[in-house]
Amino acid sequence: MTFLQPYVLFGLPLVLAPVIIHLLNRLRHRPQEWGAMRFLLAATRSSASHTRLRQLLILLFRVMAVAMLILFLARPLAGGWLGWALSPAPDTIVILLDRSASMETRTGGSSKREQALKLLAQAARPYEETTHLVLIDSATRAAQEIPRAESLAALPQTRATDTAADLPAMLRAAFDWLVENRAGAAEIWIATDDRRSHWRPEDPRWKSVVAQLGGLTQKVRVRLLELNQEPEANASIAIKELARRPRSGESDLEVVLDMQRNRAGAARVPVVMTLDGQRSETEAACQGELFRWRRRIDLGGRREGGWGSFSLPTDANPRDNTAWFAYGADTPLRAVVVSGDREAGRFLQLASASGNAGAGRAMGAGEIAGARLDDCSLLVWQGPLPEGAEAERVQTFASEGGVVIFFPPGEAGARPFAGVSWGEAQTSETPEGFRIARWNEEEGPLAKSDEHQSLPLSETAFARRQMMTGPKYVLAAFEDGAPFLARRNIGRGEAYFCASLPQTDWSSLGDGPVLVPMLQRLLLAGGRRLQPAASVVCGELGPSDLARQWVSVDSTRPKDIRTEAGVYRSGDRLLAVNRPAAEDEPDVIAPEEARKLFGGLPVQTLEERRLEGEALQGEIWRVFVFAMLLFLIAEGILILPARQPAPGPPRRKEQPA
Amino acid sequence: MAESGAWLDSEALNRLMHLTLMARAPMEGSVSGLHKSPHRGSSVEFAEYRNYVPGDDIRRLDWRVFARTDRFYLKEYEAETNLRCYFALDASGSMRFGGKFDYARRLIATLAYITAHQGDACGLICAGGKSAAEIPPRRNPAHLKALYEALDKTQARGETGLIAALHDLAERVRRRALVVVVSDLFCDPGPLLNSFQHLRFQKHDVAVFQLLDRRELEFSFERPSRFVDLESASSIVTEPSSIRDAYLRQFGQFLEQLRAGCNQFGVDYRQVVTDQDYERVLADFLVERARLAASSP
Repeated sequence: MTFLQPYVLFGLPLVLAPVIIHLLNRLRHRPQEWGAMRFLLAATRSSASHTRLRQLLILLFRVMAVAMLILFLARPLAGGWLGWALSPAPDTIVILLDRSASMETRTGGSSKREQALKLLAQAARPYEETTHLVLIDSATRAAQEIPRAESLAALPQTRATDTAADLPAMLRAAFDWLVENRAGAAEIWIATDDRRSHWRPEDPRWKSVVAQLGGLTQKVRVRLLELNQEPEANASIAIKELARRPRSGESDLEVVLDMQRNRAGAARVPVVMTLDGQRSETEAACQGELFRWRRRIDLGGRREGGWGSFSLPTDANPRDNTAWFAYGADTPLRAVVVSGDREAGRFLQLASASGNAGAGRAMGAGEIAGARLDDCSLLVWQGPLPEGAEAERVQTFASEGGVVIFFPPGEAGARPFAGVSWGEAQTSETPEGFRIARWNEEEGPLAKSDEHQSLPLSETAFARRQMMTGPKYVLAAFEDGAPFLARRNIGRGEAYFCASLPQTDWSSLGDGPVLVPMLQRLLLAGGRRLQPAASVVCGELGPSDLARQWVSVDSTRPKDIRTEAGVYRSGDRLLAVNRPAAEDEPDVIAPEEARKLFGGLPVQTLEERRLEGEALQGEIWRVFVFAMLLFLIAEGILILPARQPAPGPPRRKEQPA
Repeated sequence: MAESGAWLDSEALNRLMHLTLMARAPMEGSVSGLHKSPHRGSSVEFAEYRNYVPGDDIRRLDWRVFARTDRFYLKEYEAETNLRCYFALDASGSMRFGGKFDYARRLIATLAYITAHQGDACGLICAGGKSAAEIPPRRNPAHLKALYEALDKTQARGETGLIAALHDLAERVRRRALVVVVSDLFCDPGPLLNSFQHLRFQKHDVAVFQLLDRRELEFSFERPSRFVDLESASSIVTEPSSIRDAYLRQFGQFLEQLRAGCNQFGVDYRQVVTDQDYERVLADFLVERARLAASSP
């Protein structure tokens, strides 16, 4: 319960007035001389308990009537925000509104965002005159003062977006606003769903921002508007991988899609594919909640780039039903092989030869300084890890989107690259050699083929290998856990470390079934370096891209590239903007865990209510007036004389005897 | 000190003087008077003949009847003697409430005047808290002065000594008398009725005026008040409306007990509210007693 006129509550001690008046009255009772005291004492004794109870009740009713009057004058507000008894109206209410794609999940005919806006408008309406209302939305995280609560839903800053929500960052924005504007007592109203990706409970910023809010001189409280209704059936689609693969003068578009459903079980989901404006329909046989779907799109002899989308039928959340993509022109992919060993270099050169550019160049380690890497997508490095200027050049190449794969030099070296360095070389003491026990078949260079065939890694024999040290993500490992292939991300690109060589005294990699697809996939992945970014996460557009003029190509309606997914064109460049992958993640945060994130800040949660039911918050002075009248009536009944006194002997008129 | 006879109203006396204070039972007086005597034979008014029994004074034999009938008869006469009246005034503190004490003094002064002027003796017992002042009965009208002075001097204070005074009176006065008790009777009804019974046992005619204030009867107070006991100075703060029922119930039981006890013991009980005209009260009292005296055998 809150009050619009909290200063009236200073009058609460007045509830003691009836008690004080009662005590004063006892002191100043009119003295009455009395003769028939014995009957008075007897009567008092016989009705003492009843009289005392009656007096206590009268006092209680008077005290309650005064209390109700004061509470009524303080203009109480109540609703679901229980536990806030006697809290005054704050100076500022900062509304943190989640506009992420997941907030567009519809329940009961309206989306969570629309429900939140309606509830927030109702809750904020009583504060319009006394409190500053400030809106910070998840998409822009810019603070905007709201003149009227009713205008909340009409603001552009409250419209739906395809962005993510970052609650710690929003809290930080609220803190900054409170500090900059020297606000008084504040409440932060948070309207978001329970997606873990929004709350980011492991984010270290939580501790700092909560400490900062708690350290403010003014009182800050948090109210959580929980929107955790049971979701209706929903499916989302997102593009996991997209690659244009040359194929004998033509090219294919390889697409890996992730379909996430909130209903288990097999189902055939119709999918509408749009390619350069042309629609076609197909079906995806989904199994389970998460289904990975691979599609190969024949682009024919088309050389230039284009765009397209995959769409699911309308369901609970229309915002996550479309995945957009843009693909670049068919550019030749080329690899550079740096090797100090002629035989190894030869193997690697042949394995990394591209279909549209032929075999790459092979050179020694000393030649890399003068080599051109501009048109190169893959750098194969066999030998000691680069150092100095060489290392910087390789680093730059990778951070621009290129892929580097290092093969062992055969001898240990302390020099690291991206934190990984070569350890000792080992030779197997058994005729079977080292065997690979596990590898990542879902993604990466060792993934299954298009025909869902596994690469014959388990049949590949390794007589020698070289250990690698340092932090890395292991994609394939030997039986003893030693890594065979590991990865480090560098900027837009990646660096891979392979533990063995294709020569026969090292392994049977030279046979080709593993080495060739591995290097070909890396060559393809590195091709993104040669093309400008074709896809970006909504809300994460870089400053250079934001500075450009973008026009939507998938819709005739003007769209905002900062907040809306789709395909946009700026000059010759096509850019697909998709909602963040985290928006499709179903992980939720428990309410208790969410409350703990606020540490010592006072937090109150509100379970979502049905909109057609009661108002979220409203003045309830009528209740107090009614209660006051009831108490006064009860008090009046108690103080009424019980009955008329019994008549005594009749008064006689004076008559002469 | 008030002037002697200040409790008398001459106009009221003029209207009441044609009435007489009669005893309901035969009285034993020393001189002849208006009242029947229990003794027969030595007076002038013939009453009846009765058979001689051994032990009778042979001087009272009617020899003429013996001569005619040859039987011994005694001729008896009704004696008429004077009345000895004791006025017992309750001088306890509770009598101060509502002018009850003044009302009582007015009643006694008027009755004493009437009694004295009809040739009867009247005395006064003022039963106060610790002592009881007493004016013995005299027939002399000049005796009234002493009685009125005693009424003037007497002040109502302290607890009542009425019960003890009545017992004492019953013990001391052997000759039949009329005892007029004027009090609010605010004491334990059991001992009080015992004292009445004691008086009646001694063949005294007992008349009781219970003086009450209207407020004592109705307890019509509204505001919370501090009630101060007129006898002990103790006080109690209470809200009248909350205890009115209980008070009226207690008071009614008390009055009913008194009324029943007086009826049982043959006490002439009269409840008088002080807002009633005392002249009317006295007139009723005197007329009623005269009627009873006339109808008694």
